[in-house]
Amino acid sequence: MAEVSTTPPGVKRIIGVDFNFAALRTAGPRYWAFVSLLLTVGVLGLMAWGTLLTQGGVVMAMRDSYPWGLWFTNYMYYVGLAAGGLVVYASVHLFGAKQYHPLARLAVLQAGVLVMMALLGIITDMERPWRAMWMLLTPNFTSPFVFTGSAATLYMVICFVDLWILLTGKGGEKLARRMTLIALPLAIYMHTTTAFVLALNKSRELWHTAVMVPIFLTSATASGIALLLITAYIFQRLGIMRFKASMFRSMSTLLATVIIMDLFLLVVEILVVFWPTSAQPGHVVRFSEFLTGSYAFAFVPVLVLGTTAFILLARRSTRHLPALQITASVMYVVAIFLKRYSLMAMGFSVNPLGQPAPPFVPSLVEVLLALGIIALGMLIMTISAKVLPLEVPEDHDEGQESPRVEFAVEPTLEVG
Amino acid sequence: MSEDREIVRPEDKERAPEGCTLSRRRFLEGVGAAAGLFAAGAVPALVTVLPQVANAAESGTESTGDGVLDSIIEEDHAVNYPGKPVYYADPAGAQKWAMVIDVKACIGCRRCVYACVEENNIGRESGFTYIQVLEMEPGKIELESAKLDYEEAGRPDKWYMPVQCMHCAKPTCVYGCPVIATWKEPDGIVVIDYDKCIACRNCMITCPYDARHFNWVEPEVPADEVNPVVPLEEKAGVVEKCTFCVQLTRNGHTTACTEACPVGARKFGDLNDPESEVSILLKTRRVWRLKEDMGNEPMIWYVG
Repeated sequence: MAEVSTTPPGVKRIIGVDFNFAALRTAGPRYWAFVSLLLTVGVLGLMAWGTLLTQGGVVMAMRDSYPWGLWFTNYMYYVGLAAGGLVVYASVHLFGAKQYHPLARLAVLQAGVLVMMALLGIITDMERPWRAMWMLLTPNFTSPFVFTGSAATLYMVICFVDLWILLTGKGGEKLARRMTLIALPLAIYMHTTTAFVLALNKSRELWHTAVMVPIFLTSATASGIALLLITAYIFQRLGIMRFKASMFRSMSTLLATVIIMDLFLLVVEILVVFWPTSAQPGHVVRFSEFLTGSYAFAFVPVLVLGTTAFILLARRSTRHLPALQITASVMYVVAIFLKRYSLMAMGFSVNPLGQPAPPFVPSLVEVLLALGIIALGMLIMTISAKVLPLEVPEDHDEGQESPRVEFAVEPTLEVG
Repeated sequence: MSEDREIVRPEDKERAPEGCTLSRRRFLEGVGAAAGLFAAGAVPALVTVLPQVANAAESGTESTGDGVLDSIIEEDHAVNYPGKPVYYADPAGAQKWAMVIDVKACIGCRRCVYACVEENNIGRESGFTYIQVLEMEPGKIELESAKLDYEEAGRPDKWYMPVQCMHCAKPTCVYGCPVIATWKEPDGIVVIDYDKCIACRNCMITCPYDARHFNWVEPEVPADEVNPVVPLEEKAGVVEKCTFCVQLTRNGHTTACTEACPVGARKFGDLNDPESEVSILLKTRRVWRLKEDMGNEPMIWYVG
């Protein structure tokens, strides 16, 4: 820890990064009100975790017919959001997409925080978190859990190291480019292995398809871009960072392209399940639950929101309107959450012995736990927005709040 | 199987079964310690997953000839075995345990279920049993129309199929466990280390027979009904399932469900013994296995 006093007052240099703590001192009451709100939610989440640890899994809504619940939905969701945002950042170095350069630090920070949230979800779901050490001591390499867990942990580390490199400017453009060459394949690997957790199960018919992997990748990319667009927009509105309108337009075009790929893969899979020459009774029975049955509330919106988002972004004449960009992005971020839920539920709607299970609705403890993790993530983003020099050409941060909307879409969903 | 109706608890764990099991166990322990668990677990698992596809289609239909059982026995070997004995039972002997269930005889009375619950300290409020008896419509084996929570047993217009852990030769649950907290013993019994299970519940996902159950509540058994031989508190917050009553069967007794069946629909025995009931049944009767197409090679056959 080296402190240099030549920097402006209030700015401390820790491990080479300029932390602008003075900005916190001048922050307005609204900022602190928001921070204390987040802290309150975080404490509630901590209490929920305490309840879980003392009273056991019964306080969660998961049961044998539904062994994975909200934590797994969120794991897939956060990991996807993290991987997607990084694609935007990586294209700066890999494809020369200079228009995304101002996003670099924000994208990497957000990716790191989201993966951290995903891992916290796993840890808090375990009744005995200390047993996680067995993953390191005696890993079983035929289990996809080993791969996705290690990939996520490694990815989190890489993201924060990358952020440090970007913030300090150490190694310059060259090192930043090399980090991208590590981080992007790792992001793809991480998401492939996450899809494998579902796809590598012959016991669960609807998951057991290789198309799960490309669907995961396109969903991740689309939702990640959408979330980054929302975050960037909020940061701009709060005056922390400035972006060009052309950057948002470029992101919207990219988003529309990935959305249509995502929808295409989903429709192809639906066709294979229902086509008369390929339909298997087990598949049809289960998938029907998602189109017309008790799970339609989650799956039909995926198709509706996705299609609408694409239509909103597809029109060249209106694509540049921020309101449309934001609406479409929010729709898709919501759609992907519902899609993750549906994908998970597809394995559980009818159990391997053919017995149907009612749709999973998380308990209060699970919701509080998830909200607590979100609050922690948002807190890191809120503080970072003040303290860290996120804007790529070094500039001073103004008073702001935080990526409120970006995460606020999730809590409302998790109740349903 | 053993003809005496009285179940003797295997109190003295010192008594080793006949055969060369101890030296074998020592050997495996040595392998486990020296080569490390990566080699002992993951590599054999990967190697054995691949060639199984070719055999999967045929193994259910054969029922005559002596070479048939040999191939089944050969397939059914230890998987991810850490060389660590089940602490509440004797070490594995030279047997290959298997079960044959006569679905024509089964009347769906669920006495096997109750006997199992008592023998294995299953929490009375835990909401699961190792054995699930499905009431099937005549004319098909269609799980989607099967009924689990039927009230009246023995209906002549239905037939009944008990399902429990199949102790598969290719156990997807064992392949799916990220920490080798579950493995297949040398005598074919799939067991779980309650002190190691991290509660990720991936084995419940990978099992095609819904045989694994998670203790969402602490298992509670009335004090006078506790079986002292079988763990109880250790099962809180981890996954458990049928163990072929490892504490009984390795001491020369049959399983609690076999013991309890009033119509003798269950036969439990050793495939290595050509005179055992299961060996004779497999060789002489037309037997089938549930979800044969999954390729898990279950060690419970149905006949009827």
